[in-house]
Amino acid sequence: MTIEALKQQLKEQIIEALNLQDIKPADIDDQAALFGEGLGLDSIDSLELMVLLERSYHIKVEDPREGRKILQSVQSMAEFILSKQPA
Amino acid sequence: MNFPCYIQHQCAISPQHTFKADIFSAPLVTTDDNMLQVLPPDYAGLIPPNALRRMSKVLKMGLATAVQCLADAGHPQPDAIITGTGKGSLQDMEKFIKDIVTYQETALNPTQFIQSTFNAVNGLIALQQQNTRYNNTFVHRGLSFESALLDAMLQLAEGKQLVLLGGFDEVTADQFQIKSHSGWWKKEKIHSADLLQHVSPGTIAGEGAAFFLLGDQPAANSYAKIAGIRLLNRPGAAKLEGALQTLLATHQVQPDLLLSGRNGDSNYQHFYEQISAALPGVPEVSFKPLSGEYETAHAFGMWLGAEMIKAGKAPQQWFPADTPWPSKLENVLLYNQYYGEQHAFILLQKMA
Repeated sequence: MTIEALKQQLKEQIIEALNLQDIKPADIDDQAALFGEGLGLDSIDSLELMVLLERSYHIKVEDPREGRKILQSVQSMAEFILSKQPA
Repeated sequence: MNFPCYIQHQCAISPQHTFKADIFSAPLVTTDDNMLQVLPPDYAGLIPPNALRRMSKVLKMGLATAVQCLADAGHPQPDAIITGTGKGSLQDMEKFIKDIVTYQETALNPTQFIQSTFNAVNGLIALQQQNTRYNNTFVHRGLSFESALLDAMLQLAEGKQLVLLGGFDEVTADQFQIKSHSGWWKKEKIHSADLLQHVSPGTIAGEGAAFFLLGDQPAANSYAKIAGIRLLNRPGAAKLEGALQTLLATHQVQPDLLLSGRNGDSNYQHFYEQISAALPGVPEVSFKPLSGEYETAHAFGMWLGAEMIKAGKAPQQWFPADTPWPSKLENVLLYNQYYGEQHAFILLQKMA
């Protein structure tokens, strides 16, 4: 899967997992912060996104500090997922 | 129980038009599929968006009803928050259990687990109101709401001035189907308005949330006085009759209206027949064709009774045209039983 296709898929999954009403994938900027500004997600959402990574991509994030970097944006999530896939 | 208290304000979300609505002109809402579901209001403005998108149906209706009740009363900080629920958030529980199976006990979402606990609504109310006072949830099948009411009356008797009391439960498609196999609901599809004419095994499902701000003193716009309650577990006929007569004798009152939970279930019809026979000349109406059956349906009944007492009239369009209404609505006796096990009387009286 290309990174562009993965980012599109991630946006759809985030909207569904977090029940983000009135938001479409096109509304989410690849580089925009997911937490605080941007989508305005909170700490409960970060747990949900960790579960999403585990369920959909079989990636378990053990280190919370690493988690903060990974969940910065859709771009960072996609890059992390691709880095974990076998070459 | 003889610690009288006063319903200073109340609010309900139900299968009828009850939330911010004029119930005396609102049309009757019916169903033909044996499941009465709530009419959800617009929750935006009542619940913060980030919390709202994560909530199941019962959490939304419980929190919204509680918050609206406190806002309308102008008392954002009650001395206690006490609720009763039979099942809590079924939607969250079902989703969590399904996820356990689907993901083989891995990658489980904490949100559904947290929200499936019975006291989630109380926690949400406390968080939204920033209230750190007495907070208790009763889970006791068909006496969940009544147990909460008993605790509320005791808290008021012991010195608290304002108590937020609530009862709430939801119905889901899965729960409806599972209970269908156990004979909880009627096998034949009926029109909900005709529920009492279909006396056969089972009843129709329902759901709702009702909240009350109770005070130890009457307020300017109080709805009604809760004069007394009686709770019974699996009573025999003599004990049931005795509880009724004791309640009426204690308060030296003959009710103007019996507002019952009669629900067309032939398995338990005899209880309602007994109470009706013990009150000759007292008209009876049932709230179950309006709310359906659920563990805390009596909360809706109490809400309806108090609305009638305050207005001095009934929403007659919700009842059969030949309903024999009393000339006055000052003393309303509520009687409800839950599948033969749990029985409760609540006596409401007009403010002096």
